[in-house]
Amino acid sequence: MIVLALALAAGVAVGLLTDVAVPVPMLTYAGVIVLAALDSCLGGVRASLEQTFDDRVFLFGFFSNTLMAGFIVFVGDRIGVRELYLAGVVAFGVRAFNNLGTVRRLVFERKGWE
Amino acid sequence: MHLDSRRALTTLREESIKRLKASEKAVEHRFHEARLLASLAAALTLAGFLLVAQWRGVESYAAARDELTDRDLAVIIQEMTAENNAMRSEASRLELRVWRAGDDEESRGEVLNQAATELRDIRLVAGLESASGPGVTLRLGDPRGELGAADLVDALNELRAAGAEAVAVDGRRVEALSGFSERDGTLYLDARPLQPGPEFSAIGDPEALEQALKLPGGLLSTLAARPGVRATVEVEERLQLPALKTR
Repeated sequence: MIVLALALAAGVAVGLLTDVAVPVPMLTYAGVIVLAALDSCLGGVRASLEQTFDDRVFLFGFFSNTLMAGFIVFVGDRIGVRELYLAGVVAFGVRAFNNLGTVRRLVFERKGWE
Repeated sequence: MHLDSRRALTTLREESIKRLKASEKAVEHRFHEARLLASLAAALTLAGFLLVAQWRGVESYAAARDELTDRDLAVIIQEMTAENNAMRSEASRLELRVWRAGDDEESRGEVLNQAATELRDIRLVAGLESASGPGVTLRLGDPRGELGAADLVDALNELRAAGAEAVAVDGRRVEALSGFSERDGTLYLDARPLQPGPEFSAIGDPEALEQALKLPGGLLSTLAARPGVRATVEVEERLQLPALKTR
């Protein structure tokens, strides 16, 4: 668990050290993609706690989710339904919260899984 | 006995296989864990990085928006300043007009005064008003009737040139359009006969008038050349000249 937290912190640190910023026109894309990525990660954590983790499934799911999220925003932008990105937000947000809830429950069940 | 040991062996074998499988699973599990942790960690690192990037992007966007608002504010301020200046210059222009108008009032009064004075002078010259004041009396003694209308005109002009404001001949007011004429040896002023030896009364600065008439080469010296003519100038303290009699 601590390793994962450290990994997250490392990612944030790298981001802060380098002067990266998402360019303004890509903000909606990046927003939904970040949400999808977080959801995938939470799903992975849950899967690992449930011991149903398959790294191939995880990695594939991670990238497909993020690409799907970006695609939803893109389609919405093109067909004129700019609010389509909300669908992505809702979907991934709901999933993320679900995963989070399951993770919480599993952690409390297992307590000292490592 | 054999059966028992065989069963025991089988059980043992099964157990050991189970244990082996369990340990395999355990190893797999742990190996699984390592891979899991690795991929999760990688994914989380990426997610953290994206998070920071997104945050920075939104920040710059918000900053750009604030900047735009500031620019809008600056434009608004600029426009308002320009308007302010325009109104200030308008105000001072109007103030100037008011001041000038006040000035005009004064000068209008002045103009009126001047006009009134001019009118009075004109009326005096025109003989429309009776006039009184210091002046001179010019008597032209002319027993022989030497003098003609032209001489009278000369006399009148000399008096006027010397600054006479009102002139009368034999008590009759002379106006701008008055004319002297002559017929059969009689002198006429405005078609009315004059007595021989006309007497000019002129209101004005007595000294000036006297001086002008007594100048060498002036009226008196010219008239003195004429035979029988005796011209005299007397300073009068107060002359009263009537207004022109309107017919």
